[in-house]
Amino acid sequence: MSRTSKPLITIENISKSYGGVQALSKVCLNILPGEVHGLCGENGAGKSTLIKCLAGVVSPETGTITVDGKPLSHGDIHATEAAGIAVIHQESTAFLDLDLVENLFVGREIKKYGWLNRRAMERQALAVMHRLDVTLDLHTPLREFSIAQRQMVEMARACLRDCRLLIMDEPTASLSARETKTLLGLVKQLRESGVSVLYVSHRLEEIAELCDRVTVFRDGRLVATTPIDQLDRNQLIGQMVGREINALTRREEHAGQTDEVRASITGLYSRGSFSDISFEVRAGEILGIGGLVGAGRSEVARAIFGADRYDQGEIKIDGASLKKGSIQAAIEAGIAMVPEDRQHQGLILPMSVSENLSLTILTEITRHRLIHHGHETAQVQHLMRRLAVKAANAKMEAASLSGGNQQKVVLGKWLAIKPKFLILDEPTRGVDVAAKAEIHRLIRELTEAGMATLIMTSDLPELLTLSDRIQVMCEGRIAGQLDGATATEEQVMRLAFPRSEAQLT
Amino acid sequence: MKYRREASLIVLVGALSFLATLFDASFVPANAIDILINSIPTMIISCGVMLVIITGEIDISVGSLLGLLAATLALLSSTAEPGLGIHPYLAIAIVLTVGTLIGLGTGCLVVYGRVPSIIATLGLLIALDGAQDWLMGGGDIKHFPQELRYLGTGTTIPINLILTILVVAGTGLLCHKTALGRRIYAVGSNPSAARLAGISVTTTKLFVFALTGMLTAIAAILWVAKLGNVSTSTGAGLELKVVTCVVVGGVSIRGGRGRILGVVLAVILITMIRTVLNFMDLGSEAVKWQRAIEGVMILVAVTSDHFTQRNQPGGKS
Ligand SMILES: Nc1ncnc2c1ncn2[C@@H]1O[C@H](COP(=O)(O)OP(=O)(O)OP(=O)(O)O)[C@@H](O)[C@H]1O
Ligand SMILES: [Mg+2]
Repeated sequence: MSRTSKPLITIENISKSYGGVQALSKVCLNILPGEVHGLCGENGAGKSTLIKCLAGVVSPETGTITVDGKPLSHGDIHATEAAGIAVIHQESTAFLDLDLVENLFVGREIKKYGWLNRRAMERQALAVMHRLDVTLDLHTPLREFSIAQRQMVEMARACLRDCRLLIMDEPTASLSARETKTLLGLVKQLRESGVSVLYVSHRLEEIAELCDRVTVFRDGRLVATTPIDQLDRNQLIGQMVGREINALTRREEHAGQTDEVRASITGLYSRGSFSDISFEVRAGEILGIGGLVGAGRSEVARAIFGADRYDQGEIKIDGASLKKGSIQAAIEAGIAMVPEDRQHQGLILPMSVSENLSLTILTEITRHRLIHHGHETAQVQHLMRRLAVKAANAKMEAASLSGGNQQKVVLGKWLAIKPKFLILDEPTRGVDVAAKAEIHRLIRELTEAGMATLIMTSDLPELLTLSDRIQVMCEGRIAGQLDGATATEEQVMRLAFPRSEAQLT
Repeated sequence: MKYRREASLIVLVGALSFLATLFDASFVPANAIDILINSIPTMIISCGVMLVIITGEIDISVGSLLGLLAATLALLSSTAEPGLGIHPYLAIAIVLTVGTLIGLGTGCLVVYGRVPSIIATLGLLIALDGAQDWLMGGGDIKHFPQELRYLGTGTTIPINLILTILVVAGTGLLCHKTALGRRIYAVGSNPSAARLAGISVTTTKLFVFALTGMLTAIAAILWVAKLGNVSTSTGAGLELKVVTCVVVGGVSIRGGRGRILGVVLAVILITMIRTVLNFMDLGSEAVKWQRAIEGVMILVAVTSDHFTQRNQPGGKS
């Protein structure tokens, strides 16, 4: 690749603090034209903050950003756009009540004689969706899309514009293998056409595959910028966490697994989402469910938890039939569910970390009708320590936590009820490598102590390491079952693709 | 700063007291208790409406409801025509029950009927107002038994003031120290996350509406007890005063945020403004001034609310 050494973007001495937290301190970085620049670091390291500074969403306290030698004014979104910078933020910024076309063109609608030219917009939308290799209905409000589908919409929105720098903050966190592959292909295509990409991810394989150089952040400071070919995976992790981490390996012998059936699901059917779903999860067992985005995994999770109704079938917990469509009944029966969308479904963002963590155990910490402050603090501290939540203090608003730390809070709030049957829908979305290993260890530990776990994840390595058994869903049905100890990524993918497509690939 | 709204309200109350003292040195000591007593109905009802607004709904029928309940109490307990003269304690019990039930009914309309609360309670405002006129049949009702009047005019111990303080303290405890309070805030901030956390959005909303009905009944009883007179215009316009106080007190109209302290201060401030204006001998001008001032305060409160709150995703659906 030909590369002029004159950087496209130069960032000098950028600092930003929130109250007592130094989110960025004196960061210097440059991005070359036509390079994919990786950005790595633990949760809360300051990656998203840097991106928000670049995007003009927040103003840094000191420092300068120059594009092509011209300084960019701080905190000015329009200036950023004019300079050709497009951003896909970590948390979706979509308008949930507008449909796909309206979302794609919001703020830059195509007009004809002063009226909206819906036809032209639809045409362009179809073209860009085609380029991204996704099929989504143009007229459905985004509220009905899954997180992954919304992510693709964000992607499409960025692709509609000609930009010189595309910033992507964990774009693949909720995507499954197929969408990820499309997305990576697209990034490479952009690089070929001379666009620079700033790419944030906790998936180190992607970083290795995609990036030319990687910058690592730790606690708001830049550790190093290194060409990717001078860095292996362990060195990268070393730079990020400053110590070795031992990721979980597959479980060979099934310690703690019993014959006691904890949850049994028979013939679950819901019109338009899934059908013929039957499986059992035993105490001490982790059942993994793989599949593509849109295969109906989240819908099954929500149905079991009572969040959605289903048309037919039965759910039994410890042999007792579970009332349909009642979350309270499900919780009573010892079920907990970590939903896939932490911002809209998992957290009450304006409430504090502590209030969020104790939301599921309010009755437990109530004494004489009043919430007992001591009990609450004790529980909250315990959970925060256990999950290594990085927050200035427990009184901080959940909204101001970094993405990965928000995810840990959602997990913590459900571990607090000491569930008998834990359903995890993308439990480590956006969680850094070290914390992920920690969470995996925790899930396995709790399961070995007698919990039954159902995990839906698009992260194949995670699915393979954690699961004792794997079922793969495809288009709302269970396509097959694999043994967790021996399954391979290829086997999972083969089952995940619809028949017609499988022959093509 | 977390308590910015409360701080600015305290400053305003202080400034107003100071100005009043400049005009008349004895104004504050002479009127302080009066201001508190005058603010009682608004204060009690604001506690309920605040909770309703925190859950993301609104109730603008409280003025008419107070009127209707006052009329009911008057008819039941008045010793003169057309009153029935039943025992005041029984009458009070009936009014409390009716108030709570109407509140619950409003809640059902909003929760099960899925009518937006602003519309449902607007309809109710008109309907209850009509019911009040029909019950009263035109003339004022006077002549109430001593037991009832005592609640509002008890000389040595101001029972109504003590009751109000209890209501305020109870609401404060409920909001900030109980599980139910947490749920109320959670439901208002993000209903779907609250539901997935096992909180019943329905029950929570029904509770706040029913509680508002009951508090309105208490306010109606104290109102009749104090004034000893009920007319067809009793309670008219009170809902606006209440909503003004709640919003000026820092409760976000979008739900999920607000504290009792701010609301209490706002009620005191607004009652004080009215008293000062009356005192200034402006005659009919007083009403115009009062409206202008309250209007501006709402606008300022809502705009500053808009600027201090970041745009949160999630929340309302
Ligand atoms: N609005 C805010 N108010 C207070 N603190 C904040 C705010 N936004 C971010 N922070 C803090 O700044 C630090 C950096 O956050 P940032 O979101 O940049 O992390 P990140 O590297 O993107 O992490 P992740 O991988 O989890 O997304 C964190 O400690 C976070 O709690
Ligand atoms: Mg981030």
